[in-house]
Order: sequence, then C-alpha cells, then structure tokens
Amino acid sequence: MPSKETILAKIKANRPNLWPLPDVPIFETLATDKKKLFIQILERGGSKVHCIDDSTQIHQVLTTQFPEDKRMVSALPFLEGIEGITTLHPDFYEGTEVAIIEGLIGVAENGALWVTEKELGNVRVLPFIAQHLVMVISEKNIVGTMHEAYRMLGLPTTSGFGVFIAGPSKTADIEQSLVIGAQGARSLLVILTP
Amino acid sequence: MMPHAQKAAIFNKDEARTDWHDASLWMVRKKRDFAVSEIPEWEFLREFASDIKMHTLSKLDDYLEAFEKAAIQNGAIVHWAADAKEHNDIVLSILNKHQAKKMVKSKSMLTEECHLNEFLELHNIEVIDSDLGERIIQMLNEPPSHIVLPAIHLKKEEIGELFHRELHTEKGATDPQYLTEAARHHLREKFHTAQVALTGVNFGIAETGEVVVCTNEGNADMGVHLTPVQIHSMGIEKLIPRRSDLAVFTRLLARSATGQPVTVFTSHHRNPKPAGEMHIILVDNGRTEQLGKPDFRSSLKCIRCGACMNTCPIYRRSGGHSYETTIPGPIGSILTPGIDLKKHGQLPFASTLCGSCTDVCPVKIDIHTQLYKWRQIVSEAGLPEGGNKTMMSIMGNGLASPSFFHRLGNIGRKLLRLFPGKERFLSFTVWTKDRDLPKAPVESFREWYAKQAKDAQ
Repeated sequence: MPSKETILAKIKANRPNLWPLPDVPIFETLATDKKKLFIQILERGGSKVHCIDDSTQIHQVLTTQFPEDKRMVSALPFLEGIEGITTLHPDFYEGTEVAIIEGLIGVAENGALWVTEKELGNVRVLPFIAQHLVMVISEKNIVGTMHEAYRMLGLPTTSGFGVFIAGPSKTADIEQSLVIGAQGARSLLVILTP
Repeated sequence: MMPHAQKAAIFNKDEARTDWHDASLWMVRKKRDFAVSEIPEWEFLREFASDIKMHTLSKLDDYLEAFEKAAIQNGAIVHWAADAKEHNDIVLSILNKHQAKKMVKSKSMLTEECHLNEFLELHNIEVIDSDLGERIIQMLNEPPSHIVLPAIHLKKEEIGELFHRELHTEKGATDPQYLTEAARHHLREKFHTAQVALTGVNFGIAETGEVVVCTNEGNADMGVHLTPVQIHSMGIEKLIPRRSDLAVFTRLLARSATGQPVTVFTSHHRNPKPAGEMHIILVDNGRTEQLGKPDFRSSLKCIRCGACMNTCPIYRRSGGHSYETTIPGPIGSILTPGIDLKKHGQLPFASTLCGSCTDVCPVKIDIHTQLYKWRQIVSEAGLPEGGNKTMMSIMGNGLASPSFFHRLGNIGRKLLRLFPGKERFLSFTVWTKDRDLPKAPVESFREWYAKQAKDAQ
C-alpha cells in the first residue's frame, strides 16, 4: 500500500473522537495609540522609524540615512532615480546595499509588517538579500494585533509568497548574545507616511 | 546507551559551566515571562491553541487530504513518507532528479529526527546547515542540544576556536558580532551555489495549502528564494485548519520560545517561484502510533517552542545532550518512550514532576502528568529504570505503618545528628549526592504534639 493510504488508514484507526473547532475572537490591543505602540515595539526590536508628511520626502530620508553612493533597489513604483526591478533572476540582486519596499499592514503589538511578492516586484529574495531594508507604510494601515492583521489578509488569491517582517535579521546563537544582522538585512528602517 | 543520570553527572562535574548553562536558559525563561505579561488574553490564547490542535488531530486525515489538494492546486508537489527512511529517499530522489550535489538547509528538527544529513552525505551530497547555531554544531559533528538554541551548550571561546579552524577567523577572537559576521560571509556563498534548499515547517494550513516558516536569521528565505528547488519537510501534526489560526499561534510561538513578540520573519510559502519547483514532504515516522495512545496523543500538539526546556530544572542542569534524543527535555521525554521504550524509558524519570513545563506550555500539553504516566508503563514493563525499587518498597512500607514510620524517624534523626553535613551513610541513594539534608529536629511533630496534649491537662 502506498504510504499516503497507510498513513491515512492509521489516522482513521487511531484518531480521537471529534473535538470541536473553536471560534477565535478578534482580540484587539488595549493600547489607545496604535501608531505609538508600533513605533515603540519596532525600536525595541532594533529597527529605526522615520515619520514623514508625504511620500515626496522619501528621497530625502534615504539620502540622509544612506549618504554613501551605493546600490539601491526599489520595488516601489513611484521612486524615481533609483534602480527598479529589471529582472526576476534572484542572484542579480546580490550586492544590493539598500532595498526599498512597501509594507501593506503594520501590526502594533509586535512591529511586524506584511508584504507579498507583488510588493517585492516578484523578487522574493529582495528583503533578505539586501544589506539594509527600508519599508514604507502608511500609518492608516497599522492594526493592533495579529488577529486583525489576518482578518484583513483573508485568503491568498494570486500571491504565492507573503511574509511578516518584524525587524533586521538577528541571532543569539553564540552564548545568547544578541547580534543584529545575521544573514538577512542588517538594519530595518520603517518610513511611516500619513 | 548511558542512562540520563550518568550523563547528567558528567555534565555536573564542571560546576561553573553547569551554573552558566542553568543561568543562560533561565534568562530565556525570564524573557518569556515578560513577553507573556504583555498579552492580557494569554491564557485564552493557550486554550484556543490547544483546542485548535486537538480538533485538527481528531480530523487529521481529512485535513491532510484537504492540505494536499490545496497544495497541488497551488503548484506544489506533495510526497508522503511513512518513516524516516522514506523521507530521506524522497529528498535524495529530488536531488538526483536535478543532479544536485549541494543543498542548503534551514532549521528542521524533523530532518534531525530522520538523520537526513548523514544519509545524504553517504550519497555524496554536500549539506549545509545554514542557521548559525546549526552550522556551528554541524562543523563540530554534534547534535543540537536544544530545539530552538542548538548551540546553547557551547562557550564563545569554543566557537571562536572552531571558526578559526574552519573559517580562518583571527585566532583567539570570541566576539559574537565578529564571529556571526564571518559565518554570514561563509554562508552567503553557499546560498548562491546550492541547487536545492530544504526547510522545516512550523505550520501547514489546510485551507490554503501554504507552509509557514518562522525564523530570525533570514537564512531559510535566502535558501528558498535563491535556489531553483525548494523542499519543505513537515511532520503531519504541524497542520492547522485555517489561515486565521496563525494569529493565535504566531502570538504564542516566539513569546514562548525566546521572549520576542514575534519571530523576525514569518514566511508564508504558497507556490514555487517562476521556473522553480516546490516540494512538500508529509512525514509520519511514529506520529500515527502516538495518536493512538489516549494518554499521550496530546503531545502531538507541540509547536516546538522549547519553553519546557528553558524552565526545566533538570534540563537546565543536565544539558540537552544528556537525553540522547533528537528532542530533549520534558517534551522529548514524553515523545520518545513511545518510539522505543527500552531505550528512552529512563527519560520520564529525569524530572522532579514540578509541573513547570506544563505551566509554560503554550498549547497546554499536560507534560508532567504524561511523564508520571510513562513512569507507570516503564515500571510495569519491568525495566531497570523503573525507579529505585528497594528504596521505594522500604519507603512504601514505612509510610504505610505508623509505628514503623515513627521508629524510622527516630533512627533517622539520631543518625543525622551523629553525622551532620553530607550524609555519607546515605550514599546508596542519589538524593544526598549534591545536597545536604536539613538539620535534624530534636523531636518529631508526633512527640511534640503528645507533649502539648500532656501539658494542657
């Protein structure tokens, strides 16, 4: 008998009686100021947050934060003068110093930002391969908890990959010492637009 | 196999190091407590998580079929493996199909359980564990000593020495930042040259066919998105019914594991990248057996956070390697006796039954109750680890007979007064090996009470 049938038959023989599936309520955050909490949790996790008045200021933030003339790649459609997505070949993006992408949902309770492959210009590796990551998100899209985030997300229809990113890559594998910049981005800058 | 107690005794020889190990893990436990305190509905979340998992187990066959159907619709290739050998054969066949000789792997306790690395190396495949802790122990040819913190037993001096040898870092360098940087460069090259990437799976979602991988370093995503072929190895108990259930589990997992509010990356993989291939291997390897044991099936709710290890006084002071199982600590001690009672039957005794593991478990597994129940089974099976039988029968008789107990107490108090400090005469029990007995009182409660009654007259 093929393994699939064996496994399923064993489960049928061994499974417990039907246990009811609970309806999980949408727990909301008790914080009155979600934006403040979002910023606070992001900073606690080693990220930087910059608030701007309108998206024309993104360029200015980028030049102040990254003054050196190094390779920047933007998956934002509206950032002029910065290299865009030109090929889907992932290795091409090795050597990217700064990647700029849009976050769709921000979660206040844990500082996580949701992106799908669409916001990455279909280059799934982009937020991981870049040395530094910049995520632009409107403060209107900040929700309190993961319950609210998944309610907004619903079920995926077209996107084949989505990820919550909650800071720069990190590790504490050597003697529990926190090191920021493990194998993905060394820093995360979140630009909050109105 | 050397019994856990003996291995622990060896571990305890270096007292300073034992204290250090104990303190490192207790720090993680404290971080967990802080992170938990930020969620007022924590206890409700545990209850929901437990119920969602129990529900899934009660319909696991239906959910597996739904998951497979959705995953195939997404464009993934789904495989079923009855045991470790079949799992390893499937991985090898995928590698062979692509004539791949190099595979990067991110953290997966399942592939440790299947001993995948050794198997692939026998077939001349280079396997690179890409999580920093895993890479360290792979270079040392050791198994992980903790499921979340695989190299928690090592000192930075030892890692510095290893990296000097393997990665040519400066001799004597021990700075974690510097060592991590060296590993980063070493691994970047591997991500670009490997043909296949394999990851473990934290959650499989039945309604969407997605696999969700929770990580901090970014290594899993580097591998998956840079190589043409991605493989996700998943124990069948990793399923959850709905995508929205992830809200419950992502809130619980990282807080319980490391005290972070969420892992840095929570990646939802639904379909292969353009021109890529995505494989999902569903692995049984004893899980359906465990499902058939009413007293122990709830151990399959485990989401592998490691909180029970961090809190366990035995684990913290004996180290993960003393268990000689893939999953050490309290959860490992209830998962493994079902696989091989003779080999792992001693592990349920490596516990004080204090119940701290049960208290911190985010999916409410009654770990200490199951440890107790395994002890009954081990004792009934007549295995030598079934407790100190002579001592237990003396104690049993003593506690059952008031007069005998009274006499035993008298003798004990006298002996304790004659030989204070470490009670050498009790060296036939292990109880006084590393601790002093308390000062003996002059009289027993019974004697004192009798006197009170007399005085009152």
